[in-house]
Amino acid sequence: MSENRKKYDDAFIEVLEIEPEDLNEKLEYSSIETWDSVGHMALIAELEDVFEVSLEMDDVIDFGSYHTGLKTMEKYGVAF
Amino acid sequence: MKLDAQELQKYQPNRYPFLMIDYVTEVVPGKFAKGYKNLSNNEWYFPVHFPNGANMPGALQLEAMAQMLTVAITTQEGLAGKVTHALQHNVRFKKEVLPGEQLIIEAEVLSWKRGICKGKAKGFTHGEVACEADMMITIPEILEEFLPK
Repeated sequence: MSENRKKYDDAFIEVLEIEPEDLNEKLEYSSIETWDSVGHMALIAELEDVFEVSLEMDDVIDFGSYHTGLKTMEKYGVAF
Repeated sequence: MKLDAQELQKYQPNRYPFLMIDYVTEVVPGKFAKGYKNLSNNEWYFPVHFPNGANMPGALQLEAMAQMLTVAITTQEGLAGKVTHALQHNVRFKKEVLPGEQLIIEAEVLSWKRGICKGKAKGFTHGEVACEADMMITIPEILEEFLPK
């Protein structure tokens, strides 16, 4: 696992308060209790801090799952 | 900028009996707001909280701090009168707030992004801290614009 992938995973685990074994590519917005509207903004803020980027509004909206989030971060130069 | 009792209602949607701030002595939009709530014996909650020991309910002290923080946000361009909701508050109460006192409130915005504000506030009576809180509030109308569909 790349260092950036670990950072990405750690953000989900910490912000969404989930166990590492519960993290998978099927994880979606609203699929768990902690990934609600506030959790979504907290997750985006954490990823912005970790990767020192600032997401555009459309990308915040499109960040609907663990999987699509990877693609979003790649747009901002984060290599996994 | 300061806001009198009428002007502040452009930026704070709560109304009697739930408007918990009387005057905003200084506000810098997006940064901080300071002001006060005067507590007379006529406050609606004093006869019931408590009959033999009137004091301002802690929940309303917290509400007063949240309303002041709201003013610091809603005085920004285009946000006047927007409704805010509480997301998370951590509050500490230091002393009772009594009839006849003035609760001076200082609220500071720590961050404001995508409809979510993190801030803190303190309430003072007689120059001493009576209550303080770390708060997170939102303007749902803005927050919802950023959510996955």
